[in-house]
Amino acid sequence: MHNELKITDMQTLESNKKTIEESTNPISLDLPDFTTDSYKDAYSRINAIVIEGEQEAHDNYISIASLIPNELEELTKLARMEMKHKKGFTACGRNLGVEADMEFAKKFFSKLHGNFQIALEKGNLTTCLLIQAILIEAFAISAYNVYIRVADPFAKKITEGVVKDEYLHLNYGQEWLKENLSTCKEELMEANKVNLPLIKKMLDEVAEDASVLAMDKEELMEEFMIAYQDTLMEIGLDNREIARMAMAAIV
Amino acid sequence: MFGLIGHSTSFEDAKRKASLLGFDHIADGDLDVWCTAPPQLVENVEVKSATGISIEGSYIDSCFVPEMLSRFKTARRKVLNAMELAQKKGINITALGGFTSIIFENFNLLQHKQIRNTALEWERFTTGNTHTAWVICKQLEINAPRIGIDLKKATVAVIGATGDIGSAVCRWLINKTGISELLMVARQQEPLALLQKELDGGTITSLDEALPQADIVVWVASMPKTIEIDTDNLKKPCLMIDGGYPKNLDEKFQGENIYVLKGGIVEFFNDIGWNMMELAEMQNPQREMFACFAEAMILEFEKCHTNFSWGRNNISLEKMEFIGAASLKHGFSAIGLDKQPKVLTV
Repeated sequence: MHNELKITDMQTLESNKKTIEESTNPISLDLPDFTTDSYKDAYSRINAIVIEGEQEAHDNYISIASLIPNELEELTKLARMEMKHKKGFTACGRNLGVEADMEFAKKFFSKLHGNFQIALEKGNLTTCLLIQAILIEAFAISAYNVYIRVADPFAKKITEGVVKDEYLHLNYGQEWLKENLSTCKEELMEANKVNLPLIKKMLDEVAEDASVLAMDKEELMEEFMIAYQDTLMEIGLDNREIARMAMAAIV
Repeated sequence: MFGLIGHSTSFEDAKRKASLLGFDHIADGDLDVWCTAPPQLVENVEVKSATGISIEGSYIDSCFVPEMLSRFKTARRKVLNAMELAQKKGINITALGGFTSIIFENFNLLQHKQIRNTALEWERFTTGNTHTAWVICKQLEINAPRIGIDLKKATVAVIGATGDIGSAVCRWLINKTGISELLMVARQQEPLALLQKELDGGTITSLDEALPQADIVVWVASMPKTIEIDTDNLKKPCLMIDGGYPKNLDEKFQGENIYVLKGGIVEFFNDIGWNMMELAEMQNPQREMFACFAEAMILEFEKCHTNFSWGRNNISLEKMEFIGAASLKHGFSAIGLDKQPKVLTV
C-alpha cells in the first residue's frame, strides 16, 4: 500500500511542478480581473460586509465600554480605528466603481449582531468580548489576510494597514479574557457554542462571492482557525479545551 | 529550543492520532476539515545529551497528510503555517521532517517569506539532510561487512543521486569509503553529468542496469511508477538502504539474502520520554527518530543556530563530518541491521 502511495505522490509532485512555478511567479500570480461585471457584482457584497463589519466593530467597542467604564479611553481609541478602517474600505469600493450593498451586509451580520445586543443588555461582558474581540476580529483578520494576496493594488495597501491594527484588537479582548479566565471560562465556552457556528455559516454564505475575488474558502477557514486558535491559546486554554471549542465549527 | 515539524503517514493514521491526543474537532473531521486545520504544537520535551547538557524542544504536527499532495496550495500552506508557528514559539532551530522539506523544496517555498505578520527567518530551519546523509553513509559502512559484503570490492548504486541527500551520499562514498564502484541513477541526466564531473568519478547508469550489479543499493528517491523488480536478478547478499520517505522498501524487496535497512534513522543513548515517535511508528519510539529531527537537536546542543542544511547540493564533506562528530558526542548512533528483527531472510 505504502509503495503505491509513495509512487503516485511523487508523480503528483512532479506533474505539479510546472503549475506551481507558474502560479507562484509573483508577476503572473493569478490575480482576478478587477474590471469585470462579475467581479464588481461580488465585490458589492464583500465590500459591504467589510464596511458594515467595521461599523459594527466601532459600535460594539463603544458598547463594551459601557460595561467596563475604566477602559473607556482605550476602547474609544479602538473604536476610532475601526471608523478609519471603514473609510479605507469605502474608498476601495469607490476606487473600483462599486456601490456597496449595505442592505445585504446588515442582514449578513444580523444574527451575530442580535446575539451581541442580548449579551450587552444582560451585561455579559465575556460573551460580548468573545463575539467582537475574538470571533469577528478573527473572521476579519482571516478575510483580510487572504484578500491581501489577491486584492487590487489600491485595496492591498489599505488592507495591509488595517491588518496591522486588527492584530491589536484581537490582543485587547485576549488580554481581558486571560486575566479573568478563572471566572469567565464557563460563559466563554457557552457563548462560543452558540456563536462559532454562526461564523461558520457566514463563511459558507460568503464563499461563492469570495471565490469570484479569488479568495479560496478553504484558505479563509484555515486562516480563521489559526487566528481563533492563537487567541484561545493566548488566553490560557489548553489543547483539549480549544479542540472542544473548535468542535462547534464543524456542525 | 529545538523544534521538529512532522506529520502523519496517512489520513487514517492522522485521525487516529488526533483522537488519542484529544483533538476531537479534527479527529472526527473529513479531509476538508483537515485542510483547514491549523498546525498543532503537540508536545514539549526535554532532552539530555550524553555530555550532560539539557535542551528543550517542541514537536509540531503540521496537520499535513500525504493525501494532500495533490492539492499543492493546501500542502504549501500546511508547511508554511507550521514554520510560522515554530518561529512564533521562539524556537531557534527546527527540522522539517517527512514530506515537509520535500514540499518546501519542490514547491519552491523560499519565495513565501511573509506569512501573515511574520517574516520567516530561514536561519531558524534546517532540512536535516546533512545528518541524514551522514547517517545513511554510516549505516552502509557498518552494516555491509556484517552481511559479508567487502566494501573495497563492493559496487554501490545510489538511486536518486542528484538529490540533496543523494549527491551528499555519493560525495562521501567516493571520497571516504574506498568502495569499488559507484553507480549513479537519477531521472534527470544533466545534473547527473554535473555531479559526475564534480566527483570525478562514478558511473551514470539506469535503474535496470544498476540493480543486478549492485551489492548495496541506497534509495533516496521514489521509485519510478512502473517499476517491477525481479529479486532473482539482485546480487546475493544485497543490502538495501531505504533512505526515502515513507520507509516502505521492505514491502517490495523480499527474498533470501536481501537485507533491507531503514535508512536515516538514529537511536539515542537514553529514553527520551516523548510520545511523538510512537506515532511515527519507530521500532523503539523512546530512542529512535529520523536523523533530520536529530539534526535539530544536535544543532541546539551545539548552540549552532543556523540553517545548517538548506537548499540543494550544499552538503559538503566538512559539514557531514561536523554533524557526524557532534551526533556521536551527544549520544546518537545510526540504527543497524541487528536492531531490526524484521530482516528478511525468508
